Amino acid sequence: MLDEALEHLVRGIVDHPDEVSVRDRQGRRGRTLEVRVHPEDLGKVIGRNGRTAKALRTVVGALGSERGVRVDILDVDER
Amino acid sequence: MTKDDVPPMTESQIDVTHEDAEPAAPDLEREGEIAADYLEELLDIADLDGDIDMDVEGERATVSIVGGDLDRMVGRDGVVLDALQELTRLAVHTSTGMRSRLMLDVGGYRAGRRSVLTELGTRTAEQVKANGEPVRLAPMNPFERKVVHDAVAAAGLRSESEGEEPGRFVVVHPT
Repeated sequence: MLDEALEHLVRGIVDHPDEVSVRDRQGRRGRTLEVRVHPEDLGKVIGRNGRTAKALRTVVGALGSERGVRVDILDVDER
Repeated sequence: MTKDDVPPMTESQIDVTHEDAEPAAPDLEREGEIAADYLEELLDIADLDGDIDMDVEGERATVSIVGGDLDRMVGRDGVVLDALQELTRLAVHTSTGMRSRLMLDVGGYRAGRRSVLTELGTRTAEQVKANGEPVRLAPMNPFERKVVHDAVAAAGLRSESEGEEPGRFVVVHPT
């Protein structure tokens, strides 16, 4: 659910919604949601002084029942 | 009168033209609809119950999510609500190309803050009238300061915001 919610939140605020994807990774240090967006949308998703990224993390954190879900923002070319 | 004799536009004519170019009401309704769609789908995905009310207050669209257990969508001191409002404004901006000042409320949180702060503004104005000394209030966000300024003005006194965000606060002055 969290990955789907994050994908929806990001799709609504970018110019290339079809290029948004979210990968859910369970690592040793907990869960990470990796959002990939079109390179031109990277600035939008991060926002001035990271404001938009922070808002995304706050809402995802509120929706998640577990503590400390990480949200990483990458462009589509990053692995 | 020939074409060359056309008098220059007066200021009032320019104002009218300007207002015609930017009809306020329909845009705000559209803002509300875009915001409601964005939030509705989020509620669906997160399996949260809630109804969405839309309105236009003054010069901004307002969208409220009501009903259900929405506490976690408000968060401590409204931080989650503020984050959601920020994202919703961006979603409107992406759709319309225009900056949005849309106000989002969840579970009546802002409405509740509004009545508490109106009371604070009114009470502080009474106190300043009685003592004749300015009073500084605690730091508040822009929405909260606006509510206090309005209450102080309604009580017939003057107030100003001082300091820098996020520590900006209201000072109520005697007349």
